[in-house]
Amino acid sequence: MARPSPRRHEIVGHTADIGLTATAPDLPSLFEEAALALAEVSADVDPRAGGPVHRGAREGDAIELEAEDLVALAYAWLNELIGLAQARGQALAGTEVRRLEPASDRAGWRLVGGARFVPFAVGEGPGARARLDVKSATYHRLTVRRHAGAWRLTAYLDV
Amino acid sequence: MSREHPVPLERIDAYRWRIPRDRARGMRVDGIVYADDRLMSSLRDDPSLTQVANVATLPGIVGASLAMPDIHWGYGFPVGGVAAMTRDGVISPGGIGFDINCGVRLLRSGLSVADVRPRIGALADALFRAVPSGVGASSGRVLAKGDLDAVLRDGARWAVEAGHGTTDDLARTEDGGRLEPADPAAVSPRARQRGERQLGTLGSGNHFLEVQVVDRVFETAAAEAMGLREGQVVVMIHCGSRGFGHQVCTDHVAIMDRAARRFAITLPDRQLACAPIDSPEAAAYLGAMSAAANFAWANRQLIAAAVRRVFARFFGGAGEGAGLRQVYDLSHNLARFERHRVDGREVEVCVHRKGATRAFPPGHPTVPEPYRQVGQPVLIPGDMGRYSFVGVGAQGALEQTFGSTCHGAGRLLSRHAATRQLRGVDVGAELAAEGIVVRAQRRDLLAEEASAAYKDVAVVVEVAEAAGIFRRVARLRPLAVVKG
Repeated sequence: MARPSPRRHEIVGHTADIGLTATAPDLPSLFEEAALALAEVSADVDPRAGGPVHRGAREGDAIELEAEDLVALAYAWLNELIGLAQARGQALAGTEVRRLEPASDRAGWRLVGGARFVPFAVGEGPGARARLDVKSATYHRLTVRRHAGAWRLTAYLDV
Repeated sequence: MSREHPVPLERIDAYRWRIPRDRARGMRVDGIVYADDRLMSSLRDDPSLTQVANVATLPGIVGASLAMPDIHWGYGFPVGGVAAMTRDGVISPGGIGFDINCGVRLLRSGLSVADVRPRIGALADALFRAVPSGVGASSGRVLAKGDLDAVLRDGARWAVEAGHGTTDDLARTEDGGRLEPADPAAVSPRARQRGERQLGTLGSGNHFLEVQVVDRVFETAAAEAMGLREGQVVVMIHCGSRGFGHQVCTDHVAIMDRAARRFAITLPDRQLACAPIDSPEAAAYLGAMSAAANFAWANRQLIAAAVRRVFARFFGGAGEGAGLRQVYDLSHNLARFERHRVDGREVEVCVHRKGATRAFPPGHPTVPEPYRQVGQPVLIPGDMGRYSFVGVGAQGALEQTFGSTCHGAGRLLSRHAATRQLRGVDVGAELAAEGIVVRAQRRDLLAEEASAAYKDVAVVVEVAEAAGIFRRVARLRPLAVVKG
């Protein structure tokens, strides 16, 4: 079941492309919030197609990622979602980050979660409506930081 | 728009500015930006100038960190950036960009605007149907693994051998439409998944297919060599390696990020991730980048074939009248090993061009034989409401910019700013009033891609020509625009 939540992300301008910022009290919520922003940039998800975009993947693709630091983990997370959506030919509709913690066996961080996708609409039928073709999340100005008692993630997307 | 602390900037002449080498920043060479006062006025507080300085820190860079007149804010490298590294330097996937071998193809017809104008709406509809476009567009063609490997190895040659073009097309394509050393094994399964249904598709954003008319010829001999004359209808295709190339770059930026740390390379922007050219990471990237370049050439070859079929249906036959002959196909996002003079010596360098076009002068052995006397064709798309340009390379490019020039107009406004500025404006209707028909998957895309969002490409090419790195040959005006 979707957990209703206040919007804690915004889209940031870039001359050629687009950026996003997300804020949350903890890291799993932060990565979910950034995924919401990515989904919003990529498509409008029709409620009849299984949306609206929300947290809580429940069913869908399982995702496990490891990276040497939080910035690399954010790069891997956003790009995993972009890649899965395009490989499926579908729109991102929800994510869940169940665990995001320091890797136990080596330096770095580990994320365990999942993502759900819905088909694009055909004609006027139900389904997601494409917005921007996101090529990739980039390392340019990519940050994951504690800020004013909360976590903040900023990323720029090549579109 | 993000405002930057301005980098120091010295005027060299009316068309060039220097960002002096600053050892405190770690710059190994100067930055040089091609711009006149008009273009510089929109750049002075732009992050792109800092990006020029950042690129100057990369190991092995020689000459200068260069920015063409269409420079704008990118990732790591600015868009419009050119950097050459010696063999003991690095290669940086971000210096090529996510859309590997994004490029432009120009086809010429024997038709005049009077032949085409009465049917332009129906022609645009047919092209819109024939060439899949939009976010995640699928061609409906699913390539078997062996076929995809053949595409990755052979590029446009694969498409021609499969019946989608002629050997004359290959002779008028940069690198013959096939870059080595392509290594399909260096490509991830995810890249294959993203690419396998997208061959022959246009994509979205600033990619387009336009029916255009040659409305002015500046240099008759070069125009004749290209088969161009005033009033003639041509077709321009702008697209790249689709999701396949995007994933290749995504994968290898991550690999290079780890490599840069291993090789203790300090970077001012993590998107400049790089590795020594003689490292295994660089070899893997070059193999995958070449495979993606070949995917892009096969992609534009298949799109051209679809366009030719539509023109044959509308205007009959494949003869010189309706038949579309290729003028040229080029890349503006690629790294290549080339020989250039550095400090008085000819050396091999890895030239990164991110949003920049190779522009070798007349007589250069790399220029295809049909154009060797006039110089390498340069195709510079503008925006959908004004014009595009055809030109040729110039001697100054070889002397100043490692044989490079601009690649387009360059964005002026963000998508959001363009949409806000044009709120309430029916961009499609305004274009129609100018005699330009538009077919787009998304009407809201039109505001993001409107003329107001771009610099005036005429100013950009004027600066490139005045600086001696390009010569104008012809100007093209759009008649019909197909957007994703």
